[in-house]
Amino acid sequence: MERLERFVRGMGQYVDDIKVEHPLYMAVVRSPYARAKLINVKGGVSAADFDAKLASVGEGAQGRDSNPAAHPIFAKGFVNYVGQPVAAVFDEDRYKAEDQLESVDVDYEPLQPVVSPEAAIDFEPIHEGMKSNIISDRYLGKDFADGAEIVLEDRLENHRIATNAIETRGILADFTEGRLIVHVSTQSVFSIKRGLAGTLGLPEEKIRVIQADTGGGFGLKGGLQPEHVIAAYAAMKYKRPVKWIETRIEHLMAANQGRGAIGKMRLYANNSGKILGIKGTIIVDAGAYAEGLAGFAPGFIAHQLTEQYGIKNGYVRAMSVLTNKAPYGPYRGAGRPEAAFFMERMVDMLADRLGMDDAEIRLLNSTDKPFTSPFGMHIEASKPFMEKALEALDYRKMKKSKAGIGFFVLVPGAAPGEGVRLAVKDKKLHVWLGSNQHGQGHDFFIKKLVKEELGIGENEMVIEVPDTDNIRSGIGTWGSRSAMVGGSALVDAARHIKDEVKRKNGKYSKALLLHGNYDYFEFYKFDGEINSFGANLAVAGIGPVNEVRALEVRAFYDVGRALSKEMVKAQIEGGMIQGAGQFIGEGVIYDENGQLLTASISNAGVMRATKAPKCVVKIIENPSDLPDKAKGLGEAPTIGTPIALIRSLEHISGKRFSTTPVRPEDLI
Amino acid sequence: MEAMNVKITINGKEHSAKVETRQLLVHFIRESAGLTGTHVGCDTSNCGACTVLLDGKPVKSCTVLSAQANGKEVTTIEGLGSIKGMDKLQKAFIKHDGLQCGFCTPGMIMEAHYLLKKNPNASEEEIRSGIDGNLCRCTGYVGIIEAIKSVQNGADNGKA
Ligand code: FES
Ligand code: FES
Repeated sequence: MERLERFVRGMGQYVDDIKVEHPLYMAVVRSPYARAKLINVKGGVSAADFDAKLASVGEGAQGRDSNPAAHPIFAKGFVNYVGQPVAAVFDEDRYKAEDQLESVDVDYEPLQPVVSPEAAIDFEPIHEGMKSNIISDRYLGKDFADGAEIVLEDRLENHRIATNAIETRGILADFTEGRLIVHVSTQSVFSIKRGLAGTLGLPEEKIRVIQADTGGGFGLKGGLQPEHVIAAYAAMKYKRPVKWIETRIEHLMAANQGRGAIGKMRLYANNSGKILGIKGTIIVDAGAYAEGLAGFAPGFIAHQLTEQYGIKNGYVRAMSVLTNKAPYGPYRGAGRPEAAFFMERMVDMLADRLGMDDAEIRLLNSTDKPFTSPFGMHIEASKPFMEKALEALDYRKMKKSKAGIGFFVLVPGAAPGEGVRLAVKDKKLHVWLGSNQHGQGHDFFIKKLVKEELGIGENEMVIEVPDTDNIRSGIGTWGSRSAMVGGSALVDAARHIKDEVKRKNGKYSKALLLHGNYDYFEFYKFDGEINSFGANLAVAGIGPVNEVRALEVRAFYDVGRALSKEMVKAQIEGGMIQGAGQFIGEGVIYDENGQLLTASISNAGVMRATKAPKCVVKIIENPSDLPDKAKGLGEAPTIGTPIALIRSLEHISGKRFSTTPVRPEDLI
Repeated sequence: MEAMNVKITINGKEHSAKVETRQLLVHFIRESAGLTGTHVGCDTSNCGACTVLLDGKPVKSCTVLSAQANGKEVTTIEGLGSIKGMDKLQKAFIKHDGLQCGFCTPGMIMEAHYLLKKNPNASEEEIRSGIDGNLCRCTGYVGIIEAIKSVQNGADNGKA
């Protein structure tokens, strides 16, 4: 049965749906304190039984590490955020597993937590063995003279957001015949496999990871997290299947959270509106434990800070700072929306200072030839795109409805490449892709590209579930990469297999392929930059009790080549609603003691149907240099939507806004 | 924990089991009856992933005890359509991109099913408020609403 048909008929096999004999259910004892000394843990499985650390909690998690900020699987000595795993309990009944949480006695000695990343810079280090809470601190670009006719300053912030896929995290781990077999809700089976191997100290061939149907990821499910390791460890310890299904409250307090970035920006311009340069400090809230991604994030934001503008000077300090909150992780967009927010908010400020039109000031600062920014980002000429976008989005007319507009560059995560395996079995072509769909509809582009390249229709093809035993290597689905890089890997592999058929038979036909014996794996690598342009126009509103509204959002994106027009549209609509959510109220809120105030999916602001704006989607297709001609897409709407909406709200209210979400009190 | 015998008719078939009195209906459906199309997405009755019909009315099965459903009739996503094929709403969800990851879909379809039955001519606004208790993180609701409207207009009626 087709994947979508399984889903609408209730026949999906998400992790919790997978039936096994005699599973143990796992429940996790979590810290009620944002920061405390852990005096004693009595009962359950804890660090006394298994003492290890995650080397990385982000995308591409890998192995053990001695980094003092690495996430311990079970807390040891200290706890550093509300929700941190301290111990785990197991039972054959899921209700009784929850009951057992009570049986674990934990003594804490509360310590003063640090919640704001700005305060954390000078606060005592939260981890022993560190000199400060700063985990990365770099200067990017080149310093330049401060003199300019206009210098504008602001402190901008995107609050943290919980990824909140409707399916929470989950894993089913079993240990049989000396191997660890894992079914998991994930964006990357290989990240999970490598991470488990490293953390558990197992050789990789002893681990098999299979992707269960995955009910959304939005960045969170790209990497390994402590609970995965605990379940795997327990499966080995008890020699039986262990299932862990995260509850929503656990998700809100303990799963990695995205955004959480502050930009203190200074924009230099002359009286004509020409931007001369940008300086500032970007601070990412790394949360309590961090490696890799959290350290990398502020520099990534700086890299794309100048967006579509030909700004010659740039100098930014990019910092990532530990706080007593859940760890930082990617959330759809992952640095890209933050960069666009910081830049576009400053451009709008300049427009207001000069009394210039939003579009006019942007066109003035666009480039009419390819441009490399002071932070090293390469873009094509942006002016032609901007002009087309203003037309397509009907800017002149929509301006009368107080629409806001925003432009951005989508920098996709193309670089690591992607794996693909094509094999003929039972006269069908079986396709394994290293990337792991969880709502993006990879099936559509796989079918289209295989048909185009090999003439093989969907009935002669089997799209296989990602399974580390059946494909040698792969990366995963994030960073707007799957259609462009995964699709290109597929095209490349298809061409290779076609050549092989020709070599053997003197010609190619699908019958020759399907009756032959072919099994080909390829790891496709692409090292260039395929950055693409996007624009959003939006109309905000203010409701009767001062609540912020998103009424309409329009998109105009260069998608390279739309491999499926319907999927492109659907992906953009979904992303625009997430972007609108960031604007009208999505956020994870902590009080000054590091206690979580947003304890339900509704409090965290996930957009409901009655609040969702009208969506209008337009695209252009300027083919990329990749074999499948696609460009990145998935994250574009989360970048462009908040900036356009917040500008519209400024036009409506006459106020300046510097933070997402915009709260009713900001309107007063 | 106290246990009791519960008998619930799900999709026309009677399921009996001895369950703890605290068992939630969603777990009776998923575990005692083995029908895993009904999902759990939250613990605060906010997401609607667990929506089923109880004696014809939509309920969030995570907020109902199995004991409360004793002797009653439940319809789940598996009860729509037949072995031969999908029901028209199920088809419409596929045709109009009413789903991406599919996790919210069973609850969403059950809610929509009820909505159309109760108010066949529901306006877009009424459709939106009808599904307001069902969260979808993927689609932006656009395809979902198009799917519901298409069935309403009879556009997809009877089509294979
Ligand atoms: S599981 Fe979320 S409302 Fe029932
Ligand atoms: S399709 Fe993923 S939550 Fe609705």
